[in-house]
Amino acid sequence: MTTFRDYSGEKKMTDTPDGTASRSAAQTKTLKDLLVGDSAQIVDFLKENDAVRKIEAMGLRRGKKITIMQKMGRGIVVKTSNSRIVITSDVAKDIEVK
Amino acid sequence: MTKSIKVAIAGNPNVGKTTLLNQAAKTNLKVGNWAGVTVEKKEGFLNYKGCDIHFIDLPGIYTLEPLSEDEWIAYKFIVEEEPDVIVNVIETTNAERDLLLTTELLEFGRPMIIALNMSDEARRLGIEVDIRHTIELLDVRVVETNGRNGEGVQELLDSIIETAKAPHTPKAPTYSTEIEQLLEKVREENPKTPNVPTNGNPAEASPWTSNKRALLKLLTDSDGRFEEKVRLERSYKKNMGDIIKNERYAFAHGFYKEVFRKRRLTNRDITDKIDKVALHPVLGFFVFLLVIFLLFKISFDFSMPFMNWTEGFMTDFLSPLALSLLSHVGAGKWLPEFFSQAIVGGVGFVITFVPLIALIYFFLALLEMSGYMPRIAFIMDRFMHKLGLHGKGMIPLLLGFGCNVPAVMATRTLENKRDKLLVMAMIPFMSCPARLVVFSFFAILFFAHPAVVIFGLYFLGIAIGLLTAFFLRKTAYRGKLSHFVMELPPYRAPRIRTVLQIVWVQIKSFLYRAGTVIFAASVVIWILLNTPPNIKSQSDSVAAYIGKAITPILAPIGINDWRISTSLIPAFLAREIVLSSMGTIYSVDVQQKNTEFHFLPALEQQVEGLGQATKESFMSLLTPRIETMQTTEGDQGLRNVIRSSFTPASALSFMIFLLLYTSCLATVAVIAREGGKKFAFLFLAYSFVAAWGVAFIVYHIGVLL
Repeated sequence: MTTFRDYSGEKKMTDTPDGTASRSAAQTKTLKDLLVGDSAQIVDFLKENDAVRKIEAMGLRRGKKITIMQKMGRGIVVKTSNSRIVITSDVAKDIEVK
Repeated sequence: MTKSIKVAIAGNPNVGKTTLLNQAAKTNLKVGNWAGVTVEKKEGFLNYKGCDIHFIDLPGIYTLEPLSEDEWIAYKFIVEEEPDVIVNVIETTNAERDLLLTTELLEFGRPMIIALNMSDEARRLGIEVDIRHTIELLDVRVVETNGRNGEGVQELLDSIIETAKAPHTPKAPTYSTEIEQLLEKVREENPKTPNVPTNGNPAEASPWTSNKRALLKLLTDSDGRFEEKVRLERSYKKNMGDIIKNERYAFAHGFYKEVFRKRRLTNRDITDKIDKVALHPVLGFFVFLLVIFLLFKISFDFSMPFMNWTEGFMTDFLSPLALSLLSHVGAGKWLPEFFSQAIVGGVGFVITFVPLIALIYFFLALLEMSGYMPRIAFIMDRFMHKLGLHGKGMIPLLLGFGCNVPAVMATRTLENKRDKLLVMAMIPFMSCPARLVVFSFFAILFFAHPAVVIFGLYFLGIAIGLLTAFFLRKTAYRGKLSHFVMELPPYRAPRIRTVLQIVWVQIKSFLYRAGTVIFAASVVIWILLNTPPNIKSQSDSVAAYIGKAITPILAPIGINDWRISTSLIPAFLAREIVLSSMGTIYSVDVQQKNTEFHFLPALEQQVEGLGQATKESFMSLLTPRIETMQTTEGDQGLRNVIRSSFTPASALSFMIFLLLYTSCLATVAVIAREGGKKFAFLFLAYSFVAAWGVAFIVYHIGVLL
């Protein structure tokens, strides 16, 4: 199966035009790095865009404790309080956790 | 005079708004569309304590900062329609998330009631709410409700009446001092706070002067007029919109900490346990397959005996009963003919499919309300995104097996226009019960293993859909596949009454269609078949003339009979009409049996038959295979005539043509509304070419074999 070009073109942090993500990806632990069963706390969002606004509204907010319930393909099931939210890894990489 | 009260029900998705509405308004529900968009609009009507309450169920949304179409609708409704009361439904177990919307609603300053829903779940999870404190802090009425058993609904209705009789503005949320000071400045500049200007017409001032939302909007739109605003934006490195958003989160969080308490309970969540299997990378896929298999098996097998019974009831009971009544009153020759050919042959035939359609809707509603549906999207995303599609696109596609029209509407959950059009171009290839109606008729007639043929057709539809998507991805809709964000609601046992209410609404619209469009089509066909008057044979009629004119187009795919091509024309209104038209056309050829009709024995036989059908339905559930269509039975007369005008190859080609060609006015109309007229027209043309092409290949291979 050939991969679409779209997926190879994930933007690097330093590419962001607004410059909010000046820290390099290596230093920042993001939600994408977590494994199934891991728990963490959301520290910050590395971007402000519609996807981030949406997940914030859905309950993934700064300071919230999260648990990774399942990962499959690009999908990640994140549990926080009583809600379970599926996000894709291209959104997860913009969520800084500790 | 009765007072009429307009109540908007607002809340996050999956908080039980619809169930609560069903409890409050009982059966007086209306499902329609929001003007101009294809988002479902549910309304309820109730006369309570001398007041006419009109409920409007707003789309489930997380925020009133309009990002998606749903949010726009809710926002516009609150601003433009100015409901008398807003009922804000909160899922108590997820209150912190829900309070963002509550905060935003409070800014509007409209009279509001908070319904803390799912109170039973909250109790089980050890969540306690300090209601008195909530009332103090927000100055709104608060009611604990439970949509499933109707607890608190009475109290909610009373609160609505009281709030409408003495409306007052709730306390607006308070933000940080910097923002509040800025807002004060804005207020000084605009002494009479207008309602939020939507179409550049701020002249209509709202009577609710404390419309904080309007002030916030004026502030974010003020550009550089306020020095402090510019300074704040610079120091936070954010624009005013995002600063205000964070203020709202802070308020919601603070409020949550004030009034919600959670006792530590050790019991683990049932949802997590089920998800261990249902979302498992391997097991989850098998669970999905099993669920889909059961959906089709039970829908087909359980309904088939009832369908046979309904058909028999029409042809062996209702029709002869009416005919004997007509002959008693001395009706002429054409009335009984019209009755048996146009009404029983046309409309009656389509009505026999009500049991099947009801069951498919029942199971789709069950899947949706139990919370499993979005999980399918998660599981399938792994495969779907390889094709350049969203996992979320799986839900409209599945709904397409129920009916393409709501499936096209469901594409609104896809935020990206391109993803939406892609899925929309696949949906019409998902075979709906209307097509199954035609398939089951022809497959039984011409093939030894009809079930294999029908499943083959379903898979052919899916394959063509996937090919279409693949082709579009490589040409018109290239580009990055957008991210996807979706909530997985907790599993809940659906309230059967609510599910049945949903099924009933759908069946009603199907019956309505049978009584109007399908009826009209049958009548028109019947008239065309009998004009000009006093023709010797039907092949001299106007209908035959029209059919013969288009036969050359269809001849290469094996359809070389005017009676079939004629019946395809009205079938554009809805596919099942092809059969009702054929029923009308061919039933003229069928010799009417001239048997005596005795009411009581006939009735007895029907009741007995119904009992037998019920027994068969339940027995069919005990076998692991899909049993449907293993035997031939039913109206032999019509079947024999039709058998003579097809060969197995042409019957297969005909079914493929009808499967792939979007011969459904409602679907084309909804695609035009959602995707634009040009898209709909191109798609219709494409589906015709694809249908013709595939049918041509299959027919010619079939002839060779």
